Amino acid sequence: MRRLNPSLVVGAVIVGLIVLTALVSFVWTPYDATLVDPAIRLAKPSWSHWLGTDKFGRDVLSQLMVGSRTTLFVGLVAVGVAAVIGVPVGILAAMSRRWASEVIMRSNDLLLAFPALLLAIMFGAVFGASTLTAMVAIGIATVPSFARVIRSGALQVMRTEYVLAARAAGRTPFPIALRHVLPNVTSLITVQASVSFAIAVLAEAALSFLGYGTPPPTPSWGRMLQESQEFLFSAPRLAVFPGVAIAIAVLGFNLLGDGLRDRFDPKLEDRR
Amino acid sequence: MKSYPTRAIALLGAALLTATVAACSAGSGTSGGSSPGGDQSLTIGLVAEPASLDFTTTDGAAIPQVLLGNVYNGLVKQDESGKIVPDLAKSWTVSPDRKTYTFELVDNAKFTNGAGFTAADAVFSINRVKTAWTTSLKAAMDVVQEAKAVSPTQLQVTLTKPSNGWLFRMTTRVGAMFSQTGVEKLASDPVGTGPYKFGSWKRGDSIVLQRNDAYWGTKPFFNQVTLKYFKDPTALNNALLTGTINVVGTVQAPEALTQFTSNTKYQVIEGTTNGEVVLSFNNSRPVFKDIRVRQAIRQAIDHKALLDTCFAGRGKLIGSMVPPTDPWYEDLTSVAPFDKAKATAELKAAGATGATLRLRLPTLPYATSCGQVVKSQLEQVGLKVTIDQLEFPAAWLTTVFKNADYDMSIIAHVEPRDLGAVFNAKYYTRYDDPTLVSLLAAADAGDEAAQTDNMKKAARRISEQAAADWLYLIPNLVVADKNLTGLPTNAITESFDLTRLARS
Repeated sequence: MRRLNPSLVVGAVIVGLIVLTALVSFVWTPYDATLVDPAIRLAKPSWSHWLGTDKFGRDVLSQLMVGSRTTLFVGLVAVGVAAVIGVPVGILAAMSRRWASEVIMRSNDLLLAFPALLLAIMFGAVFGASTLTAMVAIGIATVPSFARVIRSGALQVMRTEYVLAARAAGRTPFPIALRHVLPNVTSLITVQASVSFAIAVLAEAALSFLGYGTPPPTPSWGRMLQESQEFLFSAPRLAVFPGVAIAIAVLGFNLLGDGLRDRFDPKLEDRR
Repeated sequence: MKSYPTRAIALLGAALLTATVAACSAGSGTSGGSSPGGDQSLTIGLVAEPASLDFTTTDGAAIPQVLLGNVYNGLVKQDESGKIVPDLAKSWTVSPDRKTYTFELVDNAKFTNGAGFTAADAVFSINRVKTAWTTSLKAAMDVVQEAKAVSPTQLQVTLTKPSNGWLFRMTTRVGAMFSQTGVEKLASDPVGTGPYKFGSWKRGDSIVLQRNDAYWGTKPFFNQVTLKYFKDPTALNNALLTGTINVVGTVQAPEALTQFTSNTKYQVIEGTTNGEVVLSFNNSRPVFKDIRVRQAIRQAIDHKALLDTCFAGRGKLIGSMVPPTDPWYEDLTSVAPFDKAKATAELKAAGATGATLRLRLPTLPYATSCGQVVKSQLEQVGLKVTIDQLEFPAAWLTTVFKNADYDMSIIAHVEPRDLGAVFNAKYYTRYDDPTLVSLLAAADAGDEAAQTDNMKKAARRISEQAAADWLYLIPNLVVADKNLTGLPTNAITESFDLTRLARS
C-alpha cells in the first residue's frame, strides 16, 4: 500500500475547507456580509462577531466566508481560460513542424514576458474594473506557462511507440492529439492548474487591492485588505484576517499542486 | 452667481482634489510676517498631480492649486474668511450703476520674464479669457463689455449688466494676470508676478517652485517648495512619518489621523473647504422626475452615520450646496431629516419601491466608501442599488459627467460658489428648474443684501426640491511638522497658499 503523501493530504484538506466555506456561505453566514451598520463599526472580536466588524460595521467573518467564493470563482475561471487556450496551444506546438512550433513558442514567450498584473490593470482600464475582467486577464496571462508545460509533456508522448504506431497506421493528427496525447498529459494539466490557481488567487487579491478587481460591495479578500489600510495602526486585525486567509489559500493550492506532482510524476516513483 | 459659467467644470478638479484647495492668504498683498528663511526648503505632499500647467486650456483644480497666488497673482483675491481683498489692484471703486469697476494697480510688480506689470497686461489677460481660453470657466468673462487701460496703473472694466459674480470670479483662476510676452509656453513654463517662480516638473512625481527674489510684495520664507504627488493616501501619510515630506496637504485617510494626533512631532489642522460631497441624481431619468423619490432618498440616508463611517466623523453636514464660509450659508440639514419609515412610505406612494438605481462611482476612496453606505441604506427602504466603479478621471468624466449615463453618482464639487454651475439643465445633474434660474439671476444682479437673500432662497430651493443629496462638506485636514507656521485653517480658494508658510 502506498504511503500517504503529506503535501497532498494537507493541501487537499485546506482546499476542501475553502470549498466547503464557499458552499456554506451560499446558504448561511453569521450576518449579511454587505449590511452596513455604523452603530457597531470597528467592533473588536467578540462572541457575537467572532472576528469583529470593519469600518462599515460589517461582520468580518461573514465577509471572509463570502469572499472565499470570489477567490474560488476567480481561480476557477482564470485557470479555465488558461487551460482551454494553453493546452491546445502546447499540444499544437509539440505536434507541428519545427518552424511552426518555433513561431508558436516564441509568441508564447512574448506573452510570458508581459507582466500579468500590468495586463490585468490594462484590461481593467479598458473594460472597467470587474471580477470578470480580472479573471480573464489573469487567465490570459497564465496561458504561456500552461502551453510550455503541456508542450514538453506532449513532446515526450509524441515519441512513444504507440503514437508512432498510430501515425504509421495513417491516423491524422487530430485523433492522435485527442486519443493519445491529451490523456497522457492530464496529470500535467492537473498539477499546473493547482499551481496556477494559487497564482490567480494572489493576483485577484492584488488587483482588488489596487482597485481593479472585484467592485464593492461584493466581498473579496483583496479588497478587505485594501480597505484595512487606513487602520493598520488602530485596528490591525482588519488586515490580518484577510491576509492570513490569502496566505492559507495560496499555501493550500501550492501543497495540493506539489502533492499531485509527486503522485503523478513517474520519476519520483521510487520515493513513494 | 449667474455670470458664473453654467457648465463650469467644478468637477474635474472637484474630484481630483477632494479637499486639497487651500486658502488664499489673508491680508492684502503683503502676506506673511516672517523674514525669508535663507536657503530653507519645504516639501508638501498632495494627492492629485496636474495634467498640464495651463489652466486656460486644461480643467482640473490641481493646476490653480499650485500656481494661483504662488506663481500668478490676480487683481483681487479671497482671504481665509471669504472676503475679497486687494492683490495686484491696490484698491477699486464701483460706479453707481454697478457696471463699471475702476482698479488702481500696484506700480512695482514684475513678471518673472522681466516685463513690468501694467494695466495693459490686465486688459490683455481679461480679453484673453474670451479669445484663447478653452475651458468652460471662460464664460465668467462673458459679462465683460470692455476692459480699458486708462493709465499704466489704472484699469477700467465695464460690464454689460451688474454682476456680483464677476468680481468674485476674478479671485479665481479666471482672474490670473498674464504677461503679454509670456503666454507661449503656459503648459510647461508659466510666467507670473507671484512670490514664487516655476522651477521644474518631474512628471508623476513632483513640481518645484523657487522663491521669486524680484517679487513686488513681501518675499516668502522658503527658498524652494516642492509639491510631491502621491496616488495612495497611506503612502502619503507614511511619507510624513519618515520625513520625506513636511506637510500632508490633504489627509485622504482620516481614520489614520490618530497616528499624528498622538505624536508631538506633528500638528493637525482642521478647518472647512468648499468641497461638497454630492450624491448626484440624474434628474432627466423618469424615476427622478418624481420629487417624492428624490426626497425619499434624502430621508433614507442617515447622514451622521454616513459621515462617521466613510470619513471618520470629520467634516460637516450642510444639507445644501453652500459651505459655512459663504455669506448666505444656512444650516439646511433639517430640510430632509433621516426618517426611514417616511422614506419607505413615500417610495411606495410614488410606486418606486423595488426600483433599481445604478450608482456609478469614480474610483476615489471617499466615493467608494460612501457609495457602500448609501447602497446599504437605500436598500433598507426598498430600493435596489447596483454599484459600478468607473476609473477616475477618464472613464467617469466620459460616462457620467459628459454623457450623463448614470442614475446616481458621488463626487466632491470643490469650486467656490458653484450652486448655479452644478444645478442646471446642461450640467450632468440635468436639473431644469426655472424658479432656481430666476433666483440666481436676481442674486447676481442685485445689491449685497439682495444677493444674500436670493442665494439663501436658492440654496433652500434645491434642498427642498431634493435636486441631489448633500452627504457632507469635506474638512480641510492638514498634518504638518510641529514647527511650521502659516498653514491655512480653511481651504476655500483654488490655491494652496505657500506665501505665508514659515518655520519657527
